[in-house]
Amino acid sequence: MAQAEAFETDFWKDANLRKVWDDIVPGEPRKTIPYTLTKEAIELYCKSVGEDHPIYFDEAYAKTTRYGGLIAPPSIHILLMFSCTPADDWMRSPGTVNAGQSWSYNIPARPNDVITLQARALDKFIKRERLFVVHDNVFFNQNGDVICSGRGWTIRPL
Amino acid sequence: MTATFDNLSAGDVIDGPKFAVSRESIRLFCDASLDYNPLHLDDDYMKGNFGKTNFGGIIMHGMNNFGLISRMLTDWACPAGAVHRRLETRWVKPVRPGDTIQPSGIIKAKQTTEKSRWVLIDVVVKNQREEKVATGEALVEFPRDLFCQ
Repeated sequence: MAQAEAFETDFWKDANLRKVWDDIVPGEPRKTIPYTLTKEAIELYCKSVGEDHPIYFDEAYAKTTRYGGLIAPPSIHILLMFSCTPADDWMRSPGTVNAGQSWSYNIPARPNDVITLQARALDKFIKRERLFVVHDNVFFNQNGDVICSGRGWTIRPL
Repeated sequence: MTATFDNLSAGDVIDGPKFAVSRESIRLFCDASLDYNPLHLDDDYMKGNFGKTNFGGIIMHGMNNFGLISRMLTDWACPAGAVHRRLETRWVKPVRPGDTIQPSGIIKAKQTTEKSRWVLIDVVVKNQREEKVATGEALVEFPRDLFCQ
């Protein structure tokens, strides 16, 4: 869990280093960092949403399925979004409100996958006095296979 | 009865799991997702206004809804040999500690393409007052050679 211990949980720290809505350039890549997904991180995520299917926990069972081993639930990208971005990423800006998400799933993430993210703001706009950004994200495994791709809409703090 | 592509009809309902939201469940989701936004942690911060909105206290992560809907879809699809391929959601109402939420789905349409078979599902999450807190749409693939167990 070394990665989790190194993770800065105080999102106020260095908040002034993060881009505000005005600074965000649609199309410009975000800084990302590779992340090794652990079995423990998958289990903790599963616990938080009540996932109890043995394909996420029981290696002997998982080997009998067509996946041939343990996998992570599709929605593991919720964790990957924060584990694959650095502390100065604007997704961490306190007051960021998630307005909606759409995700497409290709192949599952697995324990010990080294996961990389390609991400950018795709668009930004103002609606009813709120500052929106559209996010564009693709997660890959160590073989370069797409795990999932998604788009998010957030309202930026004023 | 396990769903099959042929026996599914528009209007069929999928029931998801009830989920009791507490300060502890929200904190656990912070640790599991690494999303420590003070919206989910800091009562003093949440006394303030966000533009025209005042939440009045900490709120659950919108993505916790997303995770519950996704759990419902995989638990439904996997025994049928089907695969959860897409989920789109919007958050329409904040969820607070003390709420109990439950996702559900309604089959909207079936579509056959050149290489596979697809089911479109309208999804919703409601709280204990039957208010919609999240809405969306999902796509589940029923491959011709069924995939899961």
